[in-house]
Amino acid sequence: MLGDATTAGSNVRGHYFRTRQALGAASRRRDSRVVFLFGTIGYLLVYLVTVGDLAYVGGPSSEITVRTVDDLSRAVASTGFFRFGAVAVVSVAGLTYILSPLNTVVALLLAVLVGANLSLTYLGLVQPRACGLEASTGVLAGVPALLSGAACCGPTILLVIGVQASATVIAGFQFLVPLAVAMLVGSLFLIGRQVDPQLL
Amino acid sequence: MFLPVRSEGTPMRQPVDRRAFLAALGVTSLAGCLGGGRDGGSGPDTPGAVTEGGTKTTGGTDDVARGGPPTTDETLPLPMDPEAIQEEAVSGGPPKDGIPSIDEPSFVEADEAVETLDPDDPVFGLAGEAETKAYPQSILVSHEICNDVVDGRPVAVTYCPLTGTAMGFDRGETTFGVSGRLVNNNLIMYDRATESWWPQVLATAIPGPWNPEPSVRSLREFRVVWTTFARWREAHPDTAVLSRDTGFAKNYDRDPYGSYNPRGGYYLPESGTMFRSLSDDDRLPPKTVVVGTRAAAGAAAFEKDRLREERLVDGELGGDLVHAVYDPTLDTGYVYLNPDGATFEYHDGKIVGADGATYTPASLPLDRVLAFDAMWFAWAGFYPETTLYAR
Repeated sequence: MLGDATTAGSNVRGHYFRTRQALGAASRRRDSRVVFLFGTIGYLLVYLVTVGDLAYVGGPSSEITVRTVDDLSRAVASTGFFRFGAVAVVSVAGLTYILSPLNTVVALLLAVLVGANLSLTYLGLVQPRACGLEASTGVLAGVPALLSGAACCGPTILLVIGVQASATVIAGFQFLVPLAVAMLVGSLFLIGRQVDPQLL
Repeated sequence: MFLPVRSEGTPMRQPVDRRAFLAALGVTSLAGCLGGGRDGGSGPDTPGAVTEGGTKTTGGTDDVARGGPPTTDETLPLPMDPEAIQEEAVSGGPPKDGIPSIDEPSFVEADEAVETLDPDDPVFGLAGEAETKAYPQSILVSHEICNDVVDGRPVAVTYCPLTGTAMGFDRGETTFGVSGRLVNNNLIMYDRATESWWPQVLATAIPGPWNPEPSVRSLREFRVVWTTFARWREAHPDTAVLSRDTGFAKNYDRDPYGSYNPRGGYYLPESGTMFRSLSDDDRLPPKTVVVGTRAAAGAAAFEKDRLREERLVDGELGGDLVHAVYDPTLDTGYVYLNPDGATFEYHDGKIVGADGATYTPASLPLDRVLAFDAMWFAWAGFYPETTLYAR
């Protein structure tokens, strides 16, 4: 038993070390850095739109306007599952961004994980002897968080697809963000162990 | 889809004493205001003082003594026991106050509000004796409650986007907040003094986790007119308009549910409800707008499109004749109680009485009862025995 536990621990450390090495290799290559950047920014934008923090509302004005709140404690006020209050509204060229520091932290965490997944997936695909990689793994892991956006009452996605919410569904929505984080970290290890930095 | 409804004309007589019925309705004289309120208001359109015909407000209940909102002697009808209503409550997702009420509203002049409001954008109008205010739907969709003071009187102007209901309540010294729970898709408010739950349309306290044994009493309510910015401004050029400077960082150009100008998304008549509703009555599409009125003795709903077409629709409420009258100025409806069965007809834009006298829609010489716009599914769920006057 002790031997099994030791082996398991050794495997985890091995996966971690291998993933870290792969990430290091990805950070040194220009092409994988570009993939990371595009993946991170792309997911960040999509996430902000789906949760309602970023919206195109139209209007001809190209002038930047910033409206801030006096009560900065709004930043830590919970407005839903992993959703927090905003402290500023930034508008430019018809785009409106609701600046919520904690929402932004959550968004950045998810986006960086998606970017890292995409970057390692890319490396896995371009390395000569890689096999068994699913290019979509990292992206799919980020999907649950995209569904976590909520209108004032009820999840936005249910409005879109026209499905009625229930107490169970609402309860399930609170797990979407942590589920996405867990899946993204898991897939990162999964992909990372299959990338051999020596081959890059 | 549009099935026949209960006949109009001669009302069925019920064994309800007229004086008691009038008191239960809380109707008031029309003198000096736009109409009668359900209770204690000088009219359904104004949060005024107690006038003749209105039931007295309570002031000595336990919850009022604890600083709760003022309530009425008569309790509005409930579709089931208060405890059963609590069991029907579901979480909408946001926690308590996750949808923040506006507690320090500021206002701008109508000329300034045109920068952010289109003429056909919906607003909720409140005409007090000295002050006239408009609360844009585009702002209240993100807050649902505005704790305000009108004519020196503390009030709460409330809006539930999922049931399409805008209602006004006296709040006394306390304020209302958004509980984060819904029943029949309707906003459950809570008062911050006693923490009792108050479903908006029912306007009556029910047990909740923060106050399991509240006094089951009904709020003092007054009419808030659902109209458009252009119509309200035309009728009240000096109106103040709720400012976007609410103290919160919200995108007031985006309605997460859909659009009223033009109508779309969740607000389309045929679209489904977000949560389970208490009724599966399909005599009308779920989101069809009705002008509803209710009292201890019953409830009645008038399809708004029919009211627009016919301008005057007769019905019954608690066995007495009522008239629903369309006001094209504000695109709204008023409901008048006519227990004596006096004759009124619509001719050429005027309501004509039996003696040939003409009246504007807002000035019939009858007691007006509180009525408000609501989505049909919500009305039918809360008042399953309601009569319906549809096309």
